[in-house]
Amino acid sequence: MSRKKGSLDLKQEVMDSGACANCGLCAGLCPYIKAAGERVALVHPCGLEEGNCYRLCPRTSTDWEQMDKRVFGRERVDHVLGNHREIVFARSLQMDAAEKGQYGGVVSALAAFLLEQGRVSGAVLAGGPAGEAPRAVVATNRDEVLACAGSRYSASPTLSAVHRAVKEGINSLAVVGRPCQVLALRKMQGLEDGPGYPPAVDKVEFVIGLFCFWSLETGIYDLLNRKAGGQRILKVDIPQDFLTITTASGSANIPVDEVRPLIRPACRLCFDPTSEFADVSVGSTEYDPRWNTLIVRSAKGKEIVDAARARGIIETRAYPEERLPLLYQAVRNKKLRVLQALESGQGAGYLQLTGQYREALQRERGMNQ
Amino acid sequence: MSFLSLLVNEPGRSVLMTGNEAVARGAIEAGIGYASSYPGSPTAEILGNLGRLAGDYHFYAEWSVNEKVALEGAAAASFAGLRSICIMKPNGVNVALDSLASISQSGIKAGLVLVVGDDPAGHSSTNEEDSRYLEKLAHMPILEPSTPREAKEMTLAAFELSEKIKLPVALRCVTRVCHASGNVTVGEIAGVNRKPAIGKNERFITVKFLHALQEAKLNQVRRMADAWPFNRYAGPENAKTLVITAGASFMYAREAVKELGLEGEVGILKLGISWPLPEKTLLGRLKTAEKAVFIEEVEPFIEENVMHLAAQHMMDLYPLQFYGQKSGHVAGPSGPGIGEMNPEIVAMALAAVCGVNYSPPPGCDESVKKLVPKVPQRDLAFCAGCPHRASFWAVKSALALDGRDGVVLGDIGCYTMGVGRTGFNLLQTVHAMGSGVGMACGLGKLADYGFNQPVVAMVGDSTFYHAAIPALVNARYNKSSFLLVVLDNETTAMTGHQPHPGMGKNAMGEEVVRMPVESVAEGLGIPVSVHDPYDVEGTTELVFHLLQSEGTKVLVLRRACALIAAKGTKKPRVYVDQELCIGDSCGCNRFCNQTFSCTANIWDVKNNKAVIDEVVCNRCQVCVSLCPRGAIKVEGGEQIG
Ligand SMILES: Cc1cc2nc3c(=O)[nH]c(=O)nc-3n(C[C@H](O)[C@H](O)[C@H](O)COP(=O)(O)OP(=O)(O)OC[C@H]3O[C@@H](n4cnc5c(N)ncnc54)[C@H](O)[C@@H]3O)c2cc1C
Ligand code: SF4
Repeated sequence: MSRKKGSLDLKQEVMDSGACANCGLCAGLCPYIKAAGERVALVHPCGLEEGNCYRLCPRTSTDWEQMDKRVFGRERVDHVLGNHREIVFARSLQMDAAEKGQYGGVVSALAAFLLEQGRVSGAVLAGGPAGEAPRAVVATNRDEVLACAGSRYSASPTLSAVHRAVKEGINSLAVVGRPCQVLALRKMQGLEDGPGYPPAVDKVEFVIGLFCFWSLETGIYDLLNRKAGGQRILKVDIPQDFLTITTASGSANIPVDEVRPLIRPACRLCFDPTSEFADVSVGSTEYDPRWNTLIVRSAKGKEIVDAARARGIIETRAYPEERLPLLYQAVRNKKLRVLQALESGQGAGYLQLTGQYREALQRERGMNQ
Repeated sequence: MSFLSLLVNEPGRSVLMTGNEAVARGAIEAGIGYASSYPGSPTAEILGNLGRLAGDYHFYAEWSVNEKVALEGAAAASFAGLRSICIMKPNGVNVALDSLASISQSGIKAGLVLVVGDDPAGHSSTNEEDSRYLEKLAHMPILEPSTPREAKEMTLAAFELSEKIKLPVALRCVTRVCHASGNVTVGEIAGVNRKPAIGKNERFITVKFLHALQEAKLNQVRRMADAWPFNRYAGPENAKTLVITAGASFMYAREAVKELGLEGEVGILKLGISWPLPEKTLLGRLKTAEKAVFIEEVEPFIEENVMHLAAQHMMDLYPLQFYGQKSGHVAGPSGPGIGEMNPEIVAMALAAVCGVNYSPPPGCDESVKKLVPKVPQRDLAFCAGCPHRASFWAVKSALALDGRDGVVLGDIGCYTMGVGRTGFNLLQTVHAMGSGVGMACGLGKLADYGFNQPVVAMVGDSTFYHAAIPALVNARYNKSSFLLVVLDNETTAMTGHQPHPGMGKNAMGEEVVRMPVESVAEGLGIPVSVHDPYDVEGTTELVFHLLQSEGTKVLVLRRACALIAAKGTKKPRVYVDQELCIGDSCGCNRFCNQTFSCTANIWDVKNNKAVIDEVVCNRCQVCVSLCPRGAIKVEGGEQIG
């Protein structure tokens, strides 16, 4: 990179341009960047020319191949779903997580498992009532993890809690995040020691990534509450072409087209719908709401999933042959759409994709057709 | 000496007093029955002292909620037959002017003296205003003491004059008289037997046909002005060069004439009354003079009026020349009519007018030059631990997060410093007491025309009671959309911690009912939240959320002024754990020291790490929560949060 870049560049290139994914990792990294509600902002110029805020941002220049090498120690073979060791259906065998979870409750089950095993002493999650923008939560026990179960479809900057947790003395963290958040965490872990080296770098022990094709602006909660007619919202889901709101007295559907205007513009530039750099990634099955899609990616991911299976925390089963192409197709289409948008000049060139990666994506039909 | 000097009851004894104490003493000797004020520098101590003595001398004293109310109360007491004194700064006269102009027209009964403390150079004011123009506009005689001694004596004389002509009288002091100390000969403190009453047939009504009577009263004073005992002339008879001056400027003029060795040539005419002018005295001196030099603060009030008088007597005075602010001869470093006078400025002017050589004494200049580089650069800053610093940081953060270029309207108080670095340059307007709230009303109505920036007004607690309430009523009535942040440090901090209606105490030290800001706002039906600004994160979050909704909202950020809190219970020690502070490796760019910049967050240059100046630190612990490394620790005492 030619010039050193810092917070003012981050503000200009990412925050002010609408490219910010609202991951929240730059917020709380230093006292100059903060998060509130669903916004992240540089509140005061720090006066330094360069900064790790710029380096760790998932929307500043990111070399995908380098990321693969650093996180997994190898280039990818699968150019649609990234590095993986296993793609399965999975669900929690523990009733509480299975019931409260968005689908199979695998995320909650694994997060609680890590805490209970003492592998981590805190888990950074998104919590709060289903009908409100979530807030960052640092859970330290099973109950606190379960209280955060369920998806909120907005881009809450929950990663700011990573720095808070470390400052409060938690020295080993599990983090649940959207793909942009996973990328940010991994970029942080790749920082070189030097001024501004975040103490959180070696405190992030395990990263559970969510699937995410887009998230919505905060305005969604007004819409949801209006549609819920004042009733308390218990759950929100996006099974296919509808957004479903569940309240005590039943459920209501909103056509996806009605919420589409609320999609964060930044999400249209996101190249990674499956949290490619996570230890494990978890999504829906688009098929059976009692199960999750689980992609085991790293060795550590494998170790934990194996342990969780062995202890009867979760169960897995083979990914149905006929469903896999659908997953590939959906992810591949999204990636191609984003590539097109990025090539038209949007996104300030954050995605650095080698020719090989690019061609492979376009060529590769893999298992998907 | 201070307070006790006011109690000396040995007529004839000479006692050291400040000008402010002298006025208070004069008021007591005059047998006042009523005293009122809104605190303002440089005269805040007058009512402070009177409040403490009210019980002993059996008169009433109050800190009023603003100057208009203060004046109205004092006028009413005068109508009832009690001598009354009302004290304010020039900005207060602006506020009270409506009533002042009317009261002077309706006339009064017992003596009513308005003490105004002008603040040339604005040492402790947002603007430097020459209140004499307003007092003239209100048809009041204007008296100008030069020393504490005169301040006391003129106060007494002012009551007599006021009573004789049935007009309120202005005693115009300047900072250098209010704060100077000098010997004052005390007089008798008469026991007074007061029976305030308003006669059945008495009327105090402002009607236009009284204007003529008002002018007649002033003419009466004009005739008396020549005999006013505080006018003085020093110098040779028939001096060719005549200095015309008043107030503290007289002292400078005297010194300058002496310095130039012109005592034998230059005459000094000091006016003890600057409106209406002692015309005969002036004309008599001007007739023999060739040059008239005006020395006064701040603006050319006497100069203009004397030149006007001279114009009427042109033939008699020819070939008289005028030198002053108008001619540009009398000018401080920033130009004529701006800033304070001093002997040097006067000497330069006189030297030029008289054609003698004068160069300012080099000695002091040289030593100053040597000292300057050694004096550390200091911004105006909030005190260590001041809750305002935390409030400004939180509001600034919330506005940045909101991202719509919120506009912040300021007001008058310590927090006016928020225009500068200590308040992160947040304030975009500063005008008069409460005016930020009125302006917020205006901006808060512009959404229909495409104004989409959120509006925040920041006002202190005392200012809230003083002038924000009508604006708040207006806001609710007219459905204006803005957030009013009341920086409630539970005192009138700027002027020396005077009580206000939110505190449950009055000027005489009595317990009174508390009227917290939130009760007032609730009473108006305006949603109000109360939060502790020391919780910076919570405050930021709260302000951010309040900005997301429409309508008038009030947020009270309550935390006692750090200077008051520092006097309380045993406080914990706040220190930097230098093992944890990693200095310039942190990436925070010395946030505590350079950006948040609490005056206690200093830099240990030797170790290149942060350190707390424990002598300055007021133990607020806000930096503890802001340090990204958690390197600032608290030890012992009662911890906050
Ligand atoms: C914005 C968003 C969009 C998504 N889009 C898709 C999609 O298109 N396709 C798909 O297959 N899956 C999507 N998911 C993932 C899916 O909704 C489930 O979260 C996932 O399948 C895990 O299910 P679970 O039963 O294990 O969840 P749970 O056990 O209920 O755990 C869910 C976890 O997600 C966290 N969480 C909730 N909301 C957020 C948020 N806004 N940001 C960060 N973390 C959050 C909670 O802290 C909780 O720990 C999306 C999730 C989010 C948050
Ligand atoms: S994407 Fe994340 S790191 Fe980048 S600016 Fe937004 S919140 Fe900060």
